[in-house]
Amino acid sequence: MTKVEAVIQNSKLEAVKTALQEIGVEGMTVIEVRGHGRQKGHTEVYRGREYSVDLIPKTKLEVVLADAMVDKAVQAIMEAARTGKIGDGKIFLTKIDDAIRIRNDERGEGAL
Amino acid sequence: MTAASLLISELRSSLSDESARIALGFAASGDGRAAVAQRTLLIEDILRRLWHEFVSSNQQEPRGFTLAATGGFGRGWLFPYSDIDLLFLFSDRAAEEAHREEVRRFSQELWDLKLKLSPASRTVAECDHFDPNNTEFTISLLDCRFLLGDEQLYARLHDKIIPKLIVRESKALLQGLAEVTRERHGKFGHTVFHLEPNLKETPGGLRDCNVASWLALISAMSKLGDWPDASSLRAPVRKQLDSALEFLMGARCFLHFRYGRDDNSLSWESQDEAAARKIGISDSAELTAADWMRIYFGYARAVQRAVNQLMEEIPESWSALRRQFQGWRTRPSDPDFSVVDGLIFLQQSSSLNNPEMLLRLFHFMAHHGLKLSATTEHRIEQALPSLAVTPPRGAELWLYLQETLLQPHAAEALRAMHSLRLLTLLLPELKPIDSLVVRDFYHRFTVDEHSILAIESLHRLNQSKSEWDKRYAELLGELEDPELLYLALLLHDTGKGVPGANHVEASLEIASSCLDRLDVDPGERSTVLFLIASHLEMSAQLRRDIFNPETVAAFADKIGTPERLKMLCLLTYADIKAVNPEALTPWKAENVWQLYIGAANYLNRSADHRVHGDVNNEKLARLRSLAPVTGTKFKDFVEGFPERYLRVHSAEEVMRHMGMAEELGHDAIQVDLKRGRHWYELTLVTKDRPSLFATLTGVLAAWGMNIVKANAFSNEAGTVVDSLYFTDRFRTLELNLSEWQRFKESIAAVLSGKADLDKMLRDRQRAEKGLHVKVVVKSRIDFDNECSSTSTLLQVIAQDRPRLLHKITSCLSQQRCNIEIALIDTEGQMAIDTFYLTSKGKKLSAEVQSNVEKALLDELKNLELG
Repeated sequence: MTKVEAVIQNSKLEAVKTALQEIGVEGMTVIEVRGHGRQKGHTEVYRGREYSVDLIPKTKLEVVLADAMVDKAVQAIMEAARTGKIGDGKIFLTKIDDAIRIRNDERGEGAL
Repeated sequence: MTAASLLISELRSSLSDESARIALGFAASGDGRAAVAQRTLLIEDILRRLWHEFVSSNQQEPRGFTLAATGGFGRGWLFPYSDIDLLFLFSDRAAEEAHREEVRRFSQELWDLKLKLSPASRTVAECDHFDPNNTEFTISLLDCRFLLGDEQLYARLHDKIIPKLIVRESKALLQGLAEVTRERHGKFGHTVFHLEPNLKETPGGLRDCNVASWLALISAMSKLGDWPDASSLRAPVRKQLDSALEFLMGARCFLHFRYGRDDNSLSWESQDEAAARKIGISDSAELTAADWMRIYFGYARAVQRAVNQLMEEIPESWSALRRQFQGWRTRPSDPDFSVVDGLIFLQQSSSLNNPEMLLRLFHFMAHHGLKLSATTEHRIEQALPSLAVTPPRGAELWLYLQETLLQPHAAEALRAMHSLRLLTLLLPELKPIDSLVVRDFYHRFTVDEHSILAIESLHRLNQSKSEWDKRYAELLGELEDPELLYLALLLHDTGKGVPGANHVEASLEIASSCLDRLDVDPGERSTVLFLIASHLEMSAQLRRDIFNPETVAAFADKIGTPERLKMLCLLTYADIKAVNPEALTPWKAENVWQLYIGAANYLNRSADHRVHGDVNNEKLARLRSLAPVTGTKFKDFVEGFPERYLRVHSAEEVMRHMGMAEELGHDAIQVDLKRGRHWYELTLVTKDRPSLFATLTGVLAAWGMNIVKANAFSNEAGTVVDSLYFTDRFRTLELNLSEWQRFKESIAAVLSGKADLDKMLRDRQRAEKGLHVKVVVKSRIDFDNECSSTSTLLQVIAQDRPRLLHKITSCLSQQRCNIEIALIDTEGQMAIDTFYLTSKGKKLSAEVQSNVEKALLDELKNLELG
């Protein structure tokens, strides 16, 4: 099992969700996050005051998948989230030891 | 098998059979009161038999040991899965020690029967002791009831100890009870209007019914020194609570049987089922879940009102600080209302026959943040039937309503009006959302409460210490007509009461009818409707890339003017915040703010997009239909004005300007002066000429007028339309009607060179005192050569002071800059002036920019030095 964490543009959430659903990914966790990669911040001057956003609002999506699904999911996220500009985000993959469904103790991929 | 185990087995099967019988009986009758009474009897019987087996074969024995029921069991209301509150009462420590094993065994057997026990063991002396950290125990004694054992011992507790204890500790008890109640209400946001309320704990629930009885009982006992003979509640309150109890008991039994445990949450699924089974309702008509919930909210509202009133009526329970505060609040009494201990009373009981007095009463409440006394509420209820025959409407109602909406405690006044059924009487458009549950995953409150909460969240901005709230509070302070925003918030979700409709469209239709009723003027009306129509627009943008200039531009173009943008931003903020306490995350607040400043900056930097008279768009089509002239006159007039011109002026105003432009042949300077609600509005239409704007602002400065806002635009043909909004610092116009004409003539005289502006300015300067600076604003000058294809944008931020605008614009003229567009704004003591400048028909070169900057900074410095 692998955990796929994708930090994406807020505007791309719907597209990524749809793309993942199309390839059969059923569950996901979506978190409102703030951060920056190489894109750095954004400064806007309003009425003589500078409002800088060092940490840009982004959306993080987490999903744990059976290994066989991972490549397809990564591909789907990349295609749906890409604009080609700085700030499109990143995808991180982590190996997962086990998964447990709290309701019935089911373990492993069956619990996903 | 021993006799004891035989008994337990028998009790187990009897408990199971009888419980099933009670459940069946309830399923058939829906009578909650009967079900709780039957269960009380069932448990009493079990206790009696266990007592016989494990404690004493004689029910009146042993001496020195009593079993009493307390809490809900004491009241005789044992809900199907509620805890059984028992008090093991002993004459002294020795008796307690002697019966310890019996108590253990007795309790053990009850646990084994799977009955949930809440036992307390106390000697009578301990019962007499009041622990401020455990008021619950003393309160639980108010419901105690003899069950088994030493009856004389019980009589000592009931007839002697408890009355004395209550008299002695009544203040602390009332205070403690009110405190825990307020704390509990606080956890639920002080409102009954939750989408999935907890029937027991939410304000207006069963717990509050008990609190009301306890408060009344403690007060009565502290006066009588003994138990009262009958209920201590006033008859009307008792009647209200009794009918609420009837309903709530049925509903709680239903929930217990449904969940098979002590779960009191009215989930959506249980609401569906309760409505289908008409729980608590004797009427035979079919009900939807929303109808059933409306009935629930009706009862809950009555209970909450009763308990709040009782809490307010116990001044001796207030802390010294609160008393001092409330004492201070007794000052705002006026000829019609008096205030005693924070409660409003009417000076004359008959005065509410006058509807205006009723409206004034709620305005008074919204202004001072006071509550209505029970008698005042009663008088209002009595006045409603005659008011319903001819309710106030039109401009008079709108005047009172807007003044009320603007007051800091508007939300509390709206809630009180709503709870007394006055709000829906005045604005029947709100009826469809009265106590309306709309199921969605995020909302926590009913639609009406959500709308009032949104208004409240804006009023609370000023007291907030949060960095985010401070930014939004500043915006709110800048609004010209905040009452329109509040009205839009009150109406924005009314469409949710129309089943199956798109709620925004339905809200617009309902709001239109409401605006008709209030006779709101066309300009204000269009703002309110715009806000309602766009209330989801900003949230929708948050799903797009808000740092993308194209997204921001498209959004800002839709909104049109900075004023509307501010209002929409605040409406979005308030709407999200009123969804649930956690809905406005820092993530969302950051996004809304970024979108706001991006769009605000875009609106200032794109003000010179020009209008073409032959383009077909909605606004131009409307203008064409209004234009009294045919042919090319209309096209010629609008051709080349910045689009901003059409956005900031209504169609009626554009028509007025066109009319003035047509008169230029007779009189080359057309001046119009009007008095608005907040400031005077001066409109000048003339042909463009050098230093026109600087001269005009100079005349206003010479008359001592303070320019708050201004727009200066010109069209292709060189016709200038300047609008200046100013306050009359010396009340010259306000106090002397004849000065209106002299003021207008003086503008024309200066512009046509017949009067000497410099002399006028010198005279004014001699007469003026220095400026009182409250907040120091640092001067800042910024140029932007990119945002316009033809002009250079200059933004000047400076300390607002008399003659500032005249000095800046004169300086620009001296530097041979032509002002193509001027957008003048003031925020507190900060002037924010934006100019689109050209020099010799082109953008400003780097050299000219540097000269202008230096000259302006010198000028600002000179002003500062006075």
